[in-house]
Amino acid sequence: MPPALHDPANLARAFAPIVGEANLRPPSGAELRCAKLMVAPSSADEIAEVVRGCESDRITLAPIGAGRTLAEIRSAPADIGISLARMNRIVAYEPDDMTIVAEAGATLAELDAAMAAHGQWLPIDPPRPELTAMGAMVAGARFGPSRLSEGTARDLLIGVRFAGHGGRLVHGGGRVVKNVAGYDLMKVMTGSFGTLGIITETTFRVRPRAARRLVATMRFSDAASSFRAARTLHDAVPLTHLEVASPPVAAALGLAEEFTLIAGCGGSPVEADYLRARIPEILGANCAIAGGAEADAFHHRLRDFDFAASSAELLAATAPAELPALLAEVGGAWLAFAGSGVARIFLNLRAAGGLDRMVGALRTRARDARGHVRVSRIIPELRGGIEIFDRPAAPAMNLMRRMKTAFDPSGVFNPGCFVGGL
Amino acid sequence: MASSGNSALDSAAVAELRAIVGDDAIVSRPTELKVYECDGWTIEKSAPELLLRPRSAAEISAVLKVLHRREIPFVPRGAGTGLSGGCLPVGAPVMICTSRMNRILAIDYASRRVEVESGVVNLHVTNAVRERGFFYAPDPSSQMACTIGGNIAENSGGPHTLKYGVTTNHVLGLEIVLPDGEIAELGGPAEERLGYDLAGAIVGAEGTAGIVTRAILKLTREPEERRTLLAIFAGVGAATRTVSAIISAGVIPGAIEMMDRLIIEAVEDAFHAGLPRDAGAVLIIELDGIAAALDAQAAEVAELARAAGAREVRLARDESERAALWKARKRAFGAVGRLAPNYATQDGVVPRTRLPEILREIAAIAERYSLKIGNVFHAGDGNIHPIVLYDERDADETRRAIEAGREILRACVAMGGSLTGEHGIGVEKMAEMPLIFSPDDLIVMSELRRVFDPEQRANPNKVIPAPGSCVEVAAPRRQVVL
Repeated sequence: MPPALHDPANLARAFAPIVGEANLRPPSGAELRCAKLMVAPSSADEIAEVVRGCESDRITLAPIGAGRTLAEIRSAPADIGISLARMNRIVAYEPDDMTIVAEAGATLAELDAAMAAHGQWLPIDPPRPELTAMGAMVAGARFGPSRLSEGTARDLLIGVRFAGHGGRLVHGGGRVVKNVAGYDLMKVMTGSFGTLGIITETTFRVRPRAARRLVATMRFSDAASSFRAARTLHDAVPLTHLEVASPPVAAALGLAEEFTLIAGCGGSPVEADYLRARIPEILGANCAIAGGAEADAFHHRLRDFDFAASSAELLAATAPAELPALLAEVGGAWLAFAGSGVARIFLNLRAAGGLDRMVGALRTRARDARGHVRVSRIIPELRGGIEIFDRPAAPAMNLMRRMKTAFDPSGVFNPGCFVGGL
Repeated sequence: MASSGNSALDSAAVAELRAIVGDDAIVSRPTELKVYECDGWTIEKSAPELLLRPRSAAEISAVLKVLHRREIPFVPRGAGTGLSGGCLPVGAPVMICTSRMNRILAIDYASRRVEVESGVVNLHVTNAVRERGFFYAPDPSSQMACTIGGNIAENSGGPHTLKYGVTTNHVLGLEIVLPDGEIAELGGPAEERLGYDLAGAIVGAEGTAGIVTRAILKLTREPEERRTLLAIFAGVGAATRTVSAIISAGVIPGAIEMMDRLIIEAVEDAFHAGLPRDAGAVLIIELDGIAAALDAQAAEVAELARAAGAREVRLARDESERAALWKARKRAFGAVGRLAPNYATQDGVVPRTRLPEILREIAAIAERYSLKIGNVFHAGDGNIHPIVLYDERDADETRRAIEAGREILRACVAMGGSLTGEHGIGVEKMAEMPLIFSPDDLIVMSELRRVFDPEQRANPNKVIPAPGSCVEVAAPRRQVVL
């Protein structure tokens, strides 16, 4: 199809026979930055047929849950957005096996609601679980504070189904918690940002919820002391999450405007009682410990934290010990997942040039520490030509290009916005 | 058995390779090469024509460039403790062994990272960090010998992976020499991946992507304390029901291992470990974590076991009693060698709640094929290791042992399980791959493999059955160390 035919009306005519007219609509909200037309299939088979149509006419397609992930990384909309809203079933939940299978459009909140009665959860806690579709969580490698103890989607995803090139419906893994049969397609799809295929179904192992949750906080006059205390505590007791917040972020979380160590822990009532007594022995008496509903509410605030005043958010990743030095160059607002070597950095630069320079400087510093920096959110006025992802070294980048070509020979899967322009 | 292919490994090629690695790192005499004719899957044997023992990624790169130019396939090897024929040369005349690359390069306690060469022995990593209160979590039973590179190839597990995860959960970055000789660094010390998770795709690829030369691993903090319980049952049914009861109660032990009567007797005959000979099954349950909570947790687990039918639950009173239980478990495979001239170990997985059912099925299969089958396995993960006893001098019994093993795998798949939990597909289970993967799945997997190895010269003829081919397995595995 020549480009002129890629206007929404022509695209609608092409896909109506597959999904039905009623399941086509114009994009709205964040979707406007992702796609020109929204197509909502009801099954993997329909997605496969849409993929084949796209490949034969070089129509680009982008998978969309709530539209948040791709709105941040696409600089121009793809031709069509595959809405996964109609594929939101929980396919199977086996509480005794502690596994759950869900279609890609089901949200994290829906999964956790289904598991609550059994005292279980999928221990991935990215912001806004009610907006977090499983496909987007996996493809966008979304995570939250609990990555410290529970890992991320890459650790918990035990099976995946996706529509790949040629409309092939492919699966990797299975429904058992330990499985090394075949190549690990779960790792391939996690963090692939829709560039290798459309995830249709995900299977996870789940965990028991802790009976008691505690959150300890402690103020410090400087960042270095907070990180030192974080490490001491981490080495002394099992923690579920561990953060250091810079003063503006601490204030926005409802704490005093100082460098603040935040540590989550919990377990059985006996474990919680022990930790409540032990943590002040390690940190000193002036740490504050909350439990019960207060701790749950704080965990949700921390999970959903968004620094509204910022113009851009970066995600910096290094080995944990390298993170304090990197953040020292930023100043301002950041939330560091101190035990994981990951930080959310909130910038309020309003000029594109200043942002470019800051990102560039941080990338240089992060690369020296064998890490990297991603732009994870940015206001549209600053989006311009900024590189969202850092650049992998040449040998790795070559392999990634080959990977993209192998999985997407027609170049239709969410092209042009991933690492190195893939 | 497949031949070593139509290699272009002529004397000029050997001379070129010798110039790279030196005289002391090349083995070409057939009598010496015999040592390398199999791994722990001993029934199929095929010695390489040439063995190289390089000392560095640079040497491996130079070697692979020569092989690439000459279009000679190769097979990587760690310690050769694999259990599925992963490093058996099938159409690969050159074997490249990483065991000389055994340096621990850097330990970063603040970041909980360790960087090692791929020939480092698994247990040596833990030994290097233990006194600072850390360990490397994946603990295959061969951990005294197996290498990190081999663990990466097979995505190895072990008893404690129930709580701590398998190899892939602990590998952050890799250096790999690709089959064309290029050296690529994938991932790194940061947890977050940049771009595609290529390191994640290589872990468990069974050496078909190239040769991993270096790895950045996560270290795990030692738990404060442990409690190790031995729960004794009249039969396997109550033992496996206990496993589900414990997990359902929200307790995630460090490990839950099961041994049935046949294994208990073998262990007692061999080592006098103090296991009750009249028991139908035992569970070794290890709890770890905050010391203050462990006694209460141990009491809860003991109560759950009794409620499910345990006739007795013993708590290891000290480190030596704990060590004795683990010794019994980890040496169980050695003990089985006393029961029959040969045995074959299977490695299937079922959803944990189907354990009682799969064990009944295994008993029925044993009956049907007139074979003895013992069970010693990672019950918490649903990862079974039925051990089929046979005598290879009896051709009919050997045939029955092979067929029984396959039937067990088919039963696992029918219960929603998998062909392998931790031993890999290798050559052993290629024929069964279509039981769980469609032709499209297998096509995409081979496309993934060719991203790293377009000519398929790294460990060829493994994992994915060639379209239309039928892999014939001559006989099941014999004595192996799990």
